[in-house]
Amino acid sequence: MITKSLSHFVLGLIVFIWIVPFIALVSTSLRSETEAKTAGFWTAFTPTELGHRFSTHDKSEKIEIFTMNGNIFERLNKDKESFIISGEIKSILIKQRIADPEKPGKTKLIRKLVPAGEVMNVRGGDFVFSKNGDFSWSFSEKTLPKPKKLDVFIDQNPIFGTDAYIEVLFDNKNVPNALISSFIVTIPATIIPITIAAFAAYAFAWMQFPGRDWLFVIVVSLMVVPTQLAFLPILQGFSGIASWATALNQWVTDCELTDSCQVASKSFASLWITHTAFGLPLAIYLLRNYIVGLPKELLQSARIDGASHLQIFTRLIIPLSVPALASFSIFQFLWVWNDLIVALYIGPNNASDLVFPIRLQKQLGTFKDQLHLLNASAVISMIVPVLVFLSMQRYFIRGLLAGSVKGG
Amino acid sequence: MRSLKPVIASNGFAILLTVVFLLPITAIFLFVFTTPIDTMLAKFGLWLHAVNEWSFSEFDTEERFSKIGFAIRSVIIAVGISFLYFWITNWLNMNLAMYREKTSIGRQSNIVESIQPWIFVGPTLVLLLLFLLVPALSTLSLSFQESDGTLSSRNYAFLWDSSALGYLQFRLAMRNSLMWLILVPSVCIILGLLIAVLADSVRWGVIAKTFIFVPLAISFVGAAVIWRNIFAGGGIEALETINGSTPSYQIGLLKSLLGHTAEYNEPLYSLKFWGNFFLMWILVWVQTGFAMVIFSAALRGVPEDTIEAATIDGANPFQMFFRVKLPQIYSTVLVVWTTLVILVLKVFDIPYALSANDDDKLLLATMMENARNNWSIGGDNVDNLYAAIAVMLMLTVVPNMVFNGWRIRREQKELGN
Repeated sequence: MITKSLSHFVLGLIVFIWIVPFIALVSTSLRSETEAKTAGFWTAFTPTELGHRFSTHDKSEKIEIFTMNGNIFERLNKDKESFIISGEIKSILIKQRIADPEKPGKTKLIRKLVPAGEVMNVRGGDFVFSKNGDFSWSFSEKTLPKPKKLDVFIDQNPIFGTDAYIEVLFDNKNVPNALISSFIVTIPATIIPITIAAFAAYAFAWMQFPGRDWLFVIVVSLMVVPTQLAFLPILQGFSGIASWATALNQWVTDCELTDSCQVASKSFASLWITHTAFGLPLAIYLLRNYIVGLPKELLQSARIDGASHLQIFTRLIIPLSVPALASFSIFQFLWVWNDLIVALYIGPNNASDLVFPIRLQKQLGTFKDQLHLLNASAVISMIVPVLVFLSMQRYFIRGLLAGSVKGG
Repeated sequence: MRSLKPVIASNGFAILLTVVFLLPITAIFLFVFTTPIDTMLAKFGLWLHAVNEWSFSEFDTEERFSKIGFAIRSVIIAVGISFLYFWITNWLNMNLAMYREKTSIGRQSNIVESIQPWIFVGPTLVLLLLFLLVPALSTLSLSFQESDGTLSSRNYAFLWDSSALGYLQFRLAMRNSLMWLILVPSVCIILGLLIAVLADSVRWGVIAKTFIFVPLAISFVGAAVIWRNIFAGGGIEALETINGSTPSYQIGLLKSLLGHTAEYNEPLYSLKFWGNFFLMWILVWVQTGFAMVIFSAALRGVPEDTIEAATIDGANPFQMFFRVKLPQIYSTVLVVWTTLVILVLKVFDIPYALSANDDDKLLLATMMENARNNWSIGGDNVDNLYAAIAVMLMLTVVPNMVFNGWRIRREQKELGN
């Protein structure tokens, strides 16, 4: 019995450690900028004391008065549509000069926290506020007070909003661009290798040709070659092709040496081809092992009926190997969507065409004081892969079990 | 009877030529031909902009919609061309064979049969040759050259010459890589085993496993952003004069738990030496799910009778695991270990995102990037130096490659080949 409850506890603890970062991510993305950068995400769920600055009244209000009545929350939330400040007011920080007890005749600046209900001297008037935000500011004679900015500490009630998402998706053009670029890269870089690998896997499994087994072993052992080894020569190759294409473009369209004439060496197309090549070994390994396991009699009878290899492939093999195709496509999709290094070396490097991981990596720097935006952007980058992953988990696990050799 | 070989060779050559010329030209033609779609979509976007009165600028709308147009047509063209290849080659193969051998159906099908496999594996072989095999070999040769092409061992000088560029960095990178290599796979395997065993014994195990599993879908940079909330510093500092009256908030959870106030701003992963372990933990968090899934399946495959026998003999849960189950899934543990080792060697994103230029956190993969970007002042041979480090990276993978190759060979034999 003890072991039973111990296993509940240990597993619970591990799962808790695994979930906390997600809670941190989502809660930070739903907070306001000030909250996100001043207090940790765990303070978002309980009333937390945070400082705000409010002004007693607008400059335009020029009426001579004895007493001014107002509400701190009204003042604070004047121009706000979201993240409405609410809660209980703890204290106001007042900076003022008082007579210095040590040096007669001189004054010194003091900072003092004044709790609710206590009278304080603001610009010669008596300022009192209550916990619900009502304040009154009274003077002994009729005056025209100048607006005063005060720092107020409020036990902020938990509040969440989707402002960060709206900002990164609509006001900032980097995130939508990154999202579109990631789709541009990922879709062909998933479909093309599946097509090519499925044909090759079929040939390796069911067709006779010289050197078949050796070729297969070579193809599969390329799975573990670190891709870093190939980057430089590939890059050089692409720049060679690009300068040819530029020359061709100049010759055909008769344009001068301008930017519009230049064919980029680092482009989406180079990313597609490179990702395709890097994904092929695993794809062929997974698919070939699956296709070899299909019933031989089925294929033989199809051959006897006079079906060509292409017909067998499209009518029999493809429908039968949907599970294997699905599991590889998830692998490749996740791998390409989440890839940073290949995109960094071979992908387009102009700001509007960066894929999401590169954009996110840059945002780690640019948004280091706007953590709500950084986290919102990260959430957006994860939605697509996590949805794909959760909806096709079964196939992903099958693929993992079949080919647990490719290391990222 | 004439030999079929010349026919096969010439047909194959004809098909190859057609493909090499036809496909790129078709692709370029289609691409140029469909360019107006971008403008049309941009106009459509501007119309939507006007109707819905969007707040952002018209220029952005135009740019975004023409990019969507570009996306759609380039995706369709790229995918279409790869399908076109198989369709065209097969059609050519059939018709060329029929044209060359008008009478004998047997000879026709012989020609088709011997060209067909190469059509199917052709793209794969060409791509792997051009994008993996040749580049790998050319990196190897690049690493033994000066930038002008003369033979030299200077790029490897960081191995022995303490005045060479990258001497210190290489040692730090090797130290860190070694720590990563030992710690990350072992922690992943231990945690993965633990979770797999525990999850099988409780009713909510499936849900627990899903939560552990989800980080596998997330990019390393995303994981870095996620863990930044836990490890990084920042927050509001207490006002000096009224110390204690205002809260001193720390925004990193772990930093807060360790009692760091907001004044102590350094992220945990930037700590000298110890920061490495926090970076490692991020990878462990991502990869444990992988180990767990494999072990979970392997443990379920342990024969029931051995477990029953152990139960009858009165084995306690610990004995059951260490004496009965673990020895039977030993080979699976080894497979997971090699996979993780290869992954760790290639890991780049996490240290690059969080501590890009910190020598103390270098790994071989990040050192390569640094060689290319930051050392250009120090030497004219940065590309060659990069190649040399890549070769060192490759060398560390070799033992694993050998093991994997052996494993796959054995597996193929078991599959009956």
